[in-house]
Amino acid sequence: MADLRTIAARDFSQVLSDTFVIVPAYNEARVIGDVIKNVSRVFPHVIVVDDGSSDDTSAVLRGLPVTVAKHHVNLGQGAALQTGITFALERGADYIVTFDADGQHRVEDALAALRMLSEDECDVVCGSRFLGTTSNIPRMRKVILKTAVHFANLTTGSRMTDVHNGLRALSRKAASCLEISKSGMAHASEIIGQLMQHKMIIREIPVQFYYTEYSLAKGQSSLNFINILVDLVIGRFVK
Amino acid sequence: MTFKYFLVAVLISFIFYLLLLPRVGYLRKGVIFAFVLVMLIFAIQPDWSTYVAHRVGISRGVDLLFYLTHLILLFIAFVYFLKLKEMELRFTKLVRELALEAARTNSQR
Repeated sequence: MADLRTIAARDFSQVLSDTFVIVPAYNEARVIGDVIKNVSRVFPHVIVVDDGSSDDTSAVLRGLPVTVAKHHVNLGQGAALQTGITFALERGADYIVTFDADGQHRVEDALAALRMLSEDECDVVCGSRFLGTTSNIPRMRKVILKTAVHFANLTTGSRMTDVHNGLRALSRKAASCLEISKSGMAHASEIIGQLMQHKMIIREIPVQFYYTEYSLAKGQSSLNFINILVDLVIGRFVK
Repeated sequence: MTFKYFLVAVLISFIFYLLLLPRVGYLRKGVIFAFVLVMLIFAIQPDWSTYVAHRVGISRGVDLLFYLTHLILLFIAFVYFLKLKEMELRFTKLVRELALEAARTNSQR
């Protein structure tokens, strides 16, 4: 655990300048410009991992104050996150925030998570839409997400209320113990599993979700859940 | 009878092909060679497979071959699955390294 007194003594603006925000993006040209503008208004260091987008995502990113790491082929969100985390650690990040590119998250929530991480006794703060006031979660999605949470809690020993949430704040120590190998969406539970394995203290914070028509169409289809399950079950046996 | 000749011809040509294959270890070559040889013998003398089947508690030789084939194919599929996963990991690393390399030079500028 990070030394609390030193952290408490630090000004939050210092925390902000030591924080790297990682935004994995795949074909998000329509929304990523606004998302990045909002994020970079608060956070000085933003890394966008362009996961082999075939639309104008790279063109949109060109004029923005961000560092772009571009995968030449699409590898999946898990791989994109790992690329961003590796890069942020290389650049000396003390805190890492992961943030979705599709405009579902609020910058306020990212700030709140970061504040909790820097002030409380924990290594990771995860956003949870089920603790928050997000009311328009589609029913089918809710069922699927809840099942995924139960499965993750069962297999990793965690006690989360939301696992497939892209908003997280990680300390350097927590980020260093991640080695995400599941490229697809199964990475969300893989991350929790690895954090639990390294005995990291995970907290949750209520967050609001913007379920827009765009994000619903972009987000994973409900059927993909089967893929995630298969991936996880096989992953238990094949390392 | 015709199919028997066809089978024998295919198996023999496979043996030649196997012997000519470069970059395959002797051990692996030997195992495949032995296997194809057994198949060849069974193709010429089908009764022998029935004899072997009886010895291991299976009533027909064809059934024995059927079970064996399934097991072997399953094994091969599993080996390839593992190899594919391994390749995927390497591929991810390669693409990541390229992305990081470019990001490093960009952020230095």
